Amino acid sequence: MSTLDSESLRRTAVPETERDRERRRIALLSVPFLALATFGAFVPLAQMLRISTSQSSFAAEGFTLAAYRELFASMVAYLPVVGDVLVADVNPVYGVVVWNSLWFGALTTVVSVAFGVCLAHTLEKYDLPFEGTIVTLLSFPISLPGIVAAFMMIVLFGTTGVLSNALAFLAGTEVDTVALTGQPSGTTNAVVGLFFGYLYSMIPRATFLLRGTYAEVNGDAEAAARSLGAGPLETFWHVTLPQIRPGIVGAVILTFRTALAIFGTVLVLKALSVVTFRFDQEIQVGFDLPMASALAAVFFAFTLAFTFLGLRFTSAEVSEA
Amino acid sequence: MTDDHASDADGEPAVDDYGAAETESHDPATDGGVTRGDVPSASNGLLDRFSVVFGRRFLVGVLAVTLVFLIGPVLLTFVASFFQSWTGIAPSGSLTLIHWEQALGLVETVGASRGLGTWVVDVPGTGLAVRLPASIAFSMLLALAGVGINLLVGIPIAYAVTRYDFYGRDLLNAVAVLPIVPGIILGIAFLRTYPNLPSAAALVIGYSLLKTPYMVLAVQSSFESMELRQLEESARSLGASWPRTFLTVLVPNAKRGIVSGSIICWTLAAAEFNFSYIVYSRGPKPFSLFLFENISNNPFQRAAAAVSIYFLIVALVTALLRATGERGFSTGGVR
Repeated sequence: MSTLDSESLRRTAVPETERDRERRRIALLSVPFLALATFGAFVPLAQMLRISTSQSSFAAEGFTLAAYRELFASMVAYLPVVGDVLVADVNPVYGVVVWNSLWFGALTTVVSVAFGVCLAHTLEKYDLPFEGTIVTLLSFPISLPGIVAAFMMIVLFGTTGVLSNALAFLAGTEVDTVALTGQPSGTTNAVVGLFFGYLYSMIPRATFLLRGTYAEVNGDAEAAARSLGAGPLETFWHVTLPQIRPGIVGAVILTFRTALAIFGTVLVLKALSVVTFRFDQEIQVGFDLPMASALAAVFFAFTLAFTFLGLRFTSAEVSEA
Repeated sequence: MTDDHASDADGEPAVDDYGAAETESHDPATDGGVTRGDVPSASNGLLDRFSVVFGRRFLVGVLAVTLVFLIGPVLLTFVASFFQSWTGIAPSGSLTLIHWEQALGLVETVGASRGLGTWVVDVPGTGLAVRLPASIAFSMLLALAGVGINLLVGIPIAYAVTRYDFYGRDLLNAVAVLPIVPGIILGIAFLRTYPNLPSAAALVIGYSLLKTPYMVLAVQSSFESMELRQLEESARSLGASWPRTFLTVLVPNAKRGIVSGSIICWTLAAAEFNFSYIVYSRGPKPFSLFLFENISNNPFQRAAAAVSIYFLIVALVTALLRATGERGFSTGGVR
């Protein structure tokens, strides 16, 4: 990955000095990854872009921006005042799914990271019994796919669920009124159930991202603050929080982009039409591949820009947990 | 959160500054007449006094509630799979293994196609036919093939970015360790790119690409704990060629990271759903799709048994990981 003029390429291929040989080693070590990334990611993504401008759903033919035009018109149409003025008669369905993804992902992120801070703090600062076991148990849901997280919510909050039945019993109502899964899409109960499903996946991830940050917190400064008379909350606010802030920003960025990409949980619970759920409808129901590709391209560009700009222009640190 | 951290963005936060400077600007009141100035106020607000008494209890309570929320349903699912029925708060009926047998496809059911696909093997000489869960084996093999590619790709790149300093290293590192493409996007991108590729091959490529960050992170942490330059130079000075040094000295020393990375990648690939759901078209079904069909179509108990199969796999794998010194699936954190 040295500068790519012909002379240095030649010397990389036929090395003369130890420095050239090192360059060749770096190139050789990088080749397998670059090959996988090229054929596994770059070529398919380029093809996806091509399909998104195709006039046919079944082959890459012609060139049209119709899918993008429909997509952005629909997103504009969803805007409160501007939409009515600019594009009055456009169906704002894509605006709805994008907005749903954004607010739902943001809410999940805020709550998950708040829990993550609490849990990482507790694990780091207190001597808990069976701490190793607790950490292992907390990490368990990270390995579960979204569909299993959804099933966990059915176990807890479904019409046959344990908590919903217990709640219905205590409140003396029918279980259907308190169940959070199996409800019609878009109802408050269903959305709350989905929210718990998102939290189930995201709280452990946020916690483990923040644990890495907490491991680097300077305990001496906290002890000094406490001995100078600051209470636990003041110490946290003025001493601990400034130290973990880069880690929190990093956790927010990664949790948000992961929450946006959640798919299995929504597919099982069918509670809210988010962008990833829309993909399923475009492909399985309508087979509108250009539209699905256009939506995927915009989604991908957004998460990529968000992740890289976020990590580049904030003090975010992504620590290895 | 984004507006005022810019001031401490550069370098390590200077810890010593916080107590004095920030407390003064944030907390003008409640010092009960004690001298104000550069020294932080000694007496605390109501909330803070509250936190002295209840802070720890509150945080431990949050931990307990979270643990119950995360692990409770796992245990309930496992228990439910052994009961004949579960309506309401507690299981009822007698204990049975029928749901497990149905989920594993070991007995004939009405919805047998939703079982784990079976091979019926005739045991020679006895006339007995033994049913084996074939699809789960197939799925495990797919994940294993993905791990194979992960190893070929992940170990070299982890070494390159850890050992050498070169132009573009940071970018390469970021691309290798950040999960760049979400599974569902990659699935859509695969649909028309390789239309003639068998589902199995497409799944293996996808698994390896999606799980590479976990492998790179795990192997990198092993490499980082080694004196790479010294090891390399010692081996070279004793006469080993560079490829031999790499393969017989450096890689074996990173064994721990390689083993834990492989275990993590394998488990995550075995249950990868988003990509598999979009890409799968024909041939034996991946395990995650089997789980999905059970969850969305089958009776609760059989779905519970199907999900429990995966729980058992993860529990086994977690035990293996702990034997290698990792604590569960902590490496990387985000898929």
